[in-house]
Amino acid sequence: MEDYRFLFKVVLVGNAGVGKTCLVRRFTQGLFPPGQGATIGVDFMIKTVDINGEKVKLQIWDTAGQERFRSITQSYYRSAHALILVYDVSSQPSFDCLPDWLREIEEYANAKVLRVLVGNKTDREDREIPTYVGEDFAQRNNMYFMETSAKEADNVEKLFMEIAHALIEQAKAREPVPEYKGNPGQSVTLNHRTPSTTSDSCCSRLL
Amino acid sequence: MDLIDFSQIRSLQDLDLLEKELDSKEVECDLRIKDLLSNRGDLEFQLRSLSKKLSNLKPVEAESQHFAEVIKSTALLAEDVSAKVRLLDKAKNRVSECQQRVNDLLDLQQCSEGVATAMQNEDYEQAAAHVHRFLTMDETLLKHTARDVSEGRTMDASFHRLHDAENQLKKVVAEKFDEAVKDDDLASVERFFKIFPLLNMHDDGLRRFTNYLSSKLKDSSTKNLNEARLTRETDKRANVIFADTLTLLFEGIARIVEIHQPLIETYYGPGKMLSVMEYFQKECDAQSKLIIEEFRKHRDFNKKVQIVSAYLNQRSENKIDAKEVDSVLNELTLLNARTELYARFVRRRVTSDLDISVTDEGEKATKLKNVDRLLKDGETFRVMQILLGQYILLEQYFMAQSVQKAVELDNLIEASSDDTFVVTSVTDDVFFIVKKCIKRSLVSQSVDGVCAVINNACGILESDFADLLLNQLRQGFPSGYLDLAQAYSVLQSSLQHGKIQGSDIEKNRTQFVAYLNNTDVSMEYIASLKNSLDKSITDAFGNNLSPYEKDKITNCLSGLSSVNIRLKSVSEFGFSQLKSSAVKPRVKPWLDAFFHSQRTSYEMEEDEFQDDSESMQTLISNLDAFFKSFKVCLSPTTHGTFVSMAVTEIALQMEKVLLKVKFNRIGGLQYDKELRTLMGYLTSSTTWSVRDKFARLTQIAILLTLEKVSEVADFWGKGPVAWRLTAQEVRQVLAMRTDFRQEDIRRLKL
Repeated sequence: MEDYRFLFKVVLVGNAGVGKTCLVRRFTQGLFPPGQGATIGVDFMIKTVDINGEKVKLQIWDTAGQERFRSITQSYYRSAHALILVYDVSSQPSFDCLPDWLREIEEYANAKVLRVLVGNKTDREDREIPTYVGEDFAQRNNMYFMETSAKEADNVEKLFMEIAHALIEQAKAREPVPEYKGNPGQSVTLNHRTPSTTSDSCCSRLL
Repeated sequence: MDLIDFSQIRSLQDLDLLEKELDSKEVECDLRIKDLLSNRGDLEFQLRSLSKKLSNLKPVEAESQHFAEVIKSTALLAEDVSAKVRLLDKAKNRVSECQQRVNDLLDLQQCSEGVATAMQNEDYEQAAAHVHRFLTMDETLLKHTARDVSEGRTMDASFHRLHDAENQLKKVVAEKFDEAVKDDDLASVERFFKIFPLLNMHDDGLRRFTNYLSSKLKDSSTKNLNEARLTRETDKRANVIFADTLTLLFEGIARIVEIHQPLIETYYGPGKMLSVMEYFQKECDAQSKLIIEEFRKHRDFNKKVQIVSAYLNQRSENKIDAKEVDSVLNELTLLNARTELYARFVRRRVTSDLDISVTDEGEKATKLKNVDRLLKDGETFRVMQILLGQYILLEQYFMAQSVQKAVELDNLIEASSDDTFVVTSVTDDVFFIVKKCIKRSLVSQSVDGVCAVINNACGILESDFADLLLNQLRQGFPSGYLDLAQAYSVLQSSLQHGKIQGSDIEKNRTQFVAYLNNTDVSMEYIASLKNSLDKSITDAFGNNLSPYEKDKITNCLSGLSSVNIRLKSVSEFGFSQLKSSAVKPRVKPWLDAFFHSQRTSYEMEEDEFQDDSESMQTLISNLDAFFKSFKVCLSPTTHGTFVSMAVTEIALQMEKVLLKVKFNRIGGLQYDKELRTLMGYLTSSTTWSVRDKFARLTQIAILLTLEKVSEVADFWGKGPVAWRLTAQEVRQVLAMRTDFRQEDIRRLKL
């Protein structure tokens, strides 16, 4: 059995071509594969990170943006601990679709899921969405916000590390059990629909 | 030898010393001289032989000088020779080139004459062979040569003729090929197909040939589709007829490839399979699209999807019968499975062809990427991706609807023998449905499809199903006078008589117990579901799963363990209900009775001591009846947990009551005896450790049986007892002994 303290599922969603796969590749392999073909179905990667001396295993599900894969993608929302909704700062249409994505998230994801809005491709010179517009959208919808560039490796590491950080805080707050029994699969119970716990807000900023 | 410094000599003693020294030196010198002289003969002999050898060296020097000269001249000669050899070699090459060119010239002559005859005789193979020979010649060089030998004019004519012949042949062969295609004359088609590469028309040949084969594919596929349309509903394959039609299409392509690949490799060389498959893919795309369109129309598929997705999105209340969805789901998985199989076939064929034909790794990687693209973006595969998405949606609907039906039809299943226990039908039904759906998804051979269905199944189990169990348990276990066993038998008999007469309380109790059992059974089912799926996955995919894909499925399957965590919390909730409504209200009066009404006091005389106390007998028989009443209706694991929970509660309650009682030593001994009897009984009725739960009570017994307060010192802080009582509590217990003096207790050092 691998040695880790927490296991978190992170799911990336957003329009096709906004750079979800590149973000994941950059984070997990340190690569920026140019001419990346469209993702078919769902890809998944695992990366174990160290947060303040605690081993955290991130299970990252990189979903296809195209409509025809929607029912595959939707099946991953429910068990996600964090959802990263990605748009392309140089593409107004990808930003305009965000409300649709949010509706999906509301419908399928757990109410307590950590929601992060990411504006990718800040390296592009033809930016169409100013930072404050993204920031504003995130704030209105109780989401964390960050702008990244998978190409320049800007904020990518930070994005995932901050998510891991926030998820640990969340897990500890919800489940203050010091007697960890050494069964990694059970250490995280974020995901349970316990009707009694009220949903907590996570509107504070990462940055 | 050092000079003697006489000035240093001051006394006779000095002189004596000096003399002695000199004497010894003289002896030493004599010895040396003797030694040297003895070597003389030897040395002289050596000198003589040396001078003799010196005279021999002279001729050696002369000879070696001579030798060096010989070598030098040989080297010169060798260089000379090799230069000549090089020249010769060059000359020989020129000669053979010359011969080649003469041959070419001769062949050219022959070809240009032969081509005309061959064309006249419609011997196109021969003509093409001539042209092929001609095409291997270097035209400009030949012209150059011809000019040198003033053969220019005839040769130009030959070239001219051959070029004409080439063009004519290209045209004729193409025409003849098309003609053969038109006449559907396979022999001629193949005949001319073999000629194209001789005329350097590889691509053209492949294109025309695959076009021809594609048209055959189209014909047979159209025929198959027409037959499919007319299939009667009573036909055995009617439910999967479009999957069959698609299979025929793929098999058709596979057969064509099987038959013609050797022909292509022989005449066109290896490395052509990628282009061949790309050509075929176009027809495959067109045909599969038609088949799927027909499928959609015939099965009213789009409407089904529309209704289902509206329903799932809670946009409409319209539903379709789950059965109707069931059969179309089977066909969907088959459609996808065939496509996956075909994709694997294409990949295997093209990859092994590239393995033998392309050595450059970079080029191979690029070509392999093209294969990927072909299999990802080809219309056939895109159409199938859409269909797979819709399959997942419909499967989700089917699963949810079936589960809902199972809930509606939920009924009590009574214990039919001693090893069975009451449950309701919903658990078996729900797990049957979930297993069926996941197993069906395996048929599709799509890893993403399987993963999505597993995810959705986990969702239904973790929320819908677990919620159902929780809500039922939340109804609680109604307390009341009737024992559960009684309630159960009343319910049973009333069910047998076809009418439910039992009071609501009895019914609700049985219901509660059945759901507690359901929860326990569900956790077992989760484990066996996981095991059986592990096996089914291996069976379904065989060696076709990459480690990555295996990992992906495993990670989705691990969702089942979070279902288990949730079920466990539901079960815990159920037990807490049972504790507060069944265990506590029962145990407390029994213990009260035990300590108060049945026995007036634990301050007793020796002759009052009972080895086998009546009140303990009563308590035990009460408990025994209580446990047994649950044993008949709880599953073994649930019963184990129940007894353990009850034992904990008994210990807790007992301590509470006990602390209010007064003792003397005999009374203490009586309590100790009774406690042992109780623990003996409880140990026999549970597999859990009773000793631990009774540790505090046992320690209280130790204190209550002491002769003197001071004996505490023998136990406290040493010996084998790990005290569960605090010092404060020890004092409190000791104070329960009316025969102990308060000062003694207070004086204890703990």
